[in-house]
Amino acid sequence: MSEERMFRIPVGPQHPALKEPINFTFIVDGERVVDVKPRIGYNHRGIEKLMESKTYIQGLYLIERICGICSAAHQGCYAQNIEEAAGIEAPPRGVYLRTLIWELERIHSHLLWVGVAYHEIGFDTLFMYVWRDRERVMDILEMISGNRVNYAMNTIGGVRRDVTPEIVDNALKALDYLEERTKYYKKVTEEDDSILARTVNVGILKTEDAKRLCAVGPTARASGLKVDVRRDDPYGAYDELDFDVVVYDTCDLTARVLVRIDEVLESIKMCRQILQNLPSGPVRVKFKRKVPEGESISKVEAPRGEDLHYVKANGTEKPERYKVRAPTLANIPSVCEMLKGGYIADIPIVFAGIDPCIACTDRMLFIDVNTERKWMWTEEELRMYARKWYKKHLKEVVRERWKC
Amino acid sequence: MGILDRMVKWARIRSPWILHFNTGGCNACDIEVLAVLTPRFDVERFGILLKGSPRHADVLVVTGPVTRQVAKRLKRIYYQMPEPKFVMAVGACAVSGGVFRGAYNVHMGLDQVLPVDVYVPGCPPKPEAIIDGVVKLLKKLEEGG
Amino acid sequence: MSELKAEQELVEDVKKQLGDKIVDTKIQRAKRVYIRVKAGDHRDVIKYLKEKWDAYHVSTITGVDLGENIELLYHLFAYRGNVTVTVRTEVPKSDPKIQTIVDIIPGATLYEREVHDLLGVVFEGHPELERLILPDDWPEGVYPLRKEYKLEVEEVEEVKEEGEA
Repeated sequence: MSEERMFRIPVGPQHPALKEPINFTFIVDGERVVDVKPRIGYNHRGIEKLMESKTYIQGLYLIERICGICSAAHQGCYAQNIEEAAGIEAPPRGVYLRTLIWELERIHSHLLWVGVAYHEIGFDTLFMYVWRDRERVMDILEMISGNRVNYAMNTIGGVRRDVTPEIVDNALKALDYLEERTKYYKKVTEEDDSILARTVNVGILKTEDAKRLCAVGPTARASGLKVDVRRDDPYGAYDELDFDVVVYDTCDLTARVLVRIDEVLESIKMCRQILQNLPSGPVRVKFKRKVPEGESISKVEAPRGEDLHYVKANGTEKPERYKVRAPTLANIPSVCEMLKGGYIADIPIVFAGIDPCIACTDRMLFIDVNTERKWMWTEEELRMYARKWYKKHLKEVVRERWKC
Repeated sequence: MGILDRMVKWARIRSPWILHFNTGGCNACDIEVLAVLTPRFDVERFGILLKGSPRHADVLVVTGPVTRQVAKRLKRIYYQMPEPKFVMAVGACAVSGGVFRGAYNVHMGLDQVLPVDVYVPGCPPKPEAIIDGVVKLLKKLEEGG
Repeated sequence: MSELKAEQELVEDVKKQLGDKIVDTKIQRAKRVYIRVKAGDHRDVIKYLKEKWDAYHVSTITGVDLGENIELLYHLFAYRGNVTVTVRTEVPKSDPKIQTIVDIIPGATLYEREVHDLLGVVFEGHPELERLILPDDWPEGVYPLRKEYKLEVEEVEEVKEEGEA
């Protein structure tokens, strides 16, 4: 496909979050999407190569900046990977605190996403409410780590900072508030007609397709696949925590919203367990800057799904090769599948459904198969189009969807 | 200064519309820019509004280290903005390349590609810092504009 | 070593069924198994794992520059037994060609394109092996993750007013 015909433009408030802004080419027939072709790389910075020129300690800070939203997932994954390769083990309190940050991050990331999803369907009031409540979890994170985003909490051999009893008390209080609000959002999502009209039976990804295309994370779980690294390949403190893997089998957008809201509730449960049962002792052990020759694979369930890191060490202070596979890349074939056969007006919300960071930054190219007319839209124009179109066609579309 | 000029200046300072563009950053700055626009920090009370099109914007807010693939598009957007236009570099990457300095696919900072008016350091900058940057820009507008 | 039951079972099963194709196996720890095969045999091994061990999920494909050869690691996850199985194979750097696995596991499409972009490995039979993540103006035949590619400080172009684009 020719790149000259498209370009990206900056677009606003919905920055749904992840590593790669993407360029998609849509082939449309009237109002229906026929085919989708992705082109990524706008956000490619060459981190894997740069990792080879950094020491393991410097790498901690680079790896955290793969993605600012799931920074702890990447950094924690990196830390446990290097620990395994170096043959050291983080002390129990360190592991618990690391897991706490992972779960708090999941709460912040999922709430962020839920807000963005409401925004995508034009429900801005709820978007603002969710983001207001999300500030509470940002406060806990800031209290524990000293920073709102990019916490720099993990280090090789444990975590950098300990928590005090006051922090634990404050965090528990904030979690109570968050639980109540999250339950309210769940109720709204399940009952509000204007949300249901835009999500029920939209962006279907069948279970077989999710399996075939190797979907990960909430995207896979909303399609009835019970996959979760926390359960399948336990790491951190997860084998000692009591939690459920949330699965919905309606395979549509409602399922994707509800999976994430339920996961927030599960995360709150886990955070409570961690805060109330923190083991005593040190939070980290010493790491001698060199890692012996060898290799290691580390996996983490990031907010968006399975995150895999692979390291090949050569006995020096720097890695021979460091490989990262972030979850959004794994979900791109799935989102292409979801978009096929859907309406143009559903593109923004279906995109947002996998929790990517793409839709906002790139223009999209449309080709009508009948007239061969080509045109481009920005995400903002597309969203406006979607709202207008739904005003006109709401009744027939909803009737058609709810019939099946 | 004529009355019309004074009115234009007054309007510009009271309602700077911004355009947010991620040039390959890690999203941390982007979610903080978003946080600035949501209820707790709410810069809309200063008349600041986020716009989707460069043709409507006065201020270009750029995050990220400017990847090679994105640089051309970034310039294009800048040229599409009407005069007078201002550029804010938010975050360590946009200021100097930050942690990605030396990687094969990035420029080292926004000022290698576009003229920058305000730098907001931090990785990511706290929402308060971003608001401070905005206020500094408004002051610059008032004095220079 | 009773904790490694699933891992040992997997390794023995694969060896028994595809004995001549397996060069080497390694159980690193619980849930981490590595299987080395010759280039070309990887398809049969992956197919077998998918059918018999529910390894329908490929996490990613890692390419490593070893100097003479490029090593490819297919990170699979076997849901029967919950084991991360890594199938590894090598292709010569002078002629880096290998058969695609997209027809076995369609989810591998983007991973193969990524390795093709960054290391220049050609996956034969891949439906659209086009540029995926490098910029449009990236020179042909330069692969950033190969060891001969060294990072250097890049010269930056000046800002010029080009007028309205």
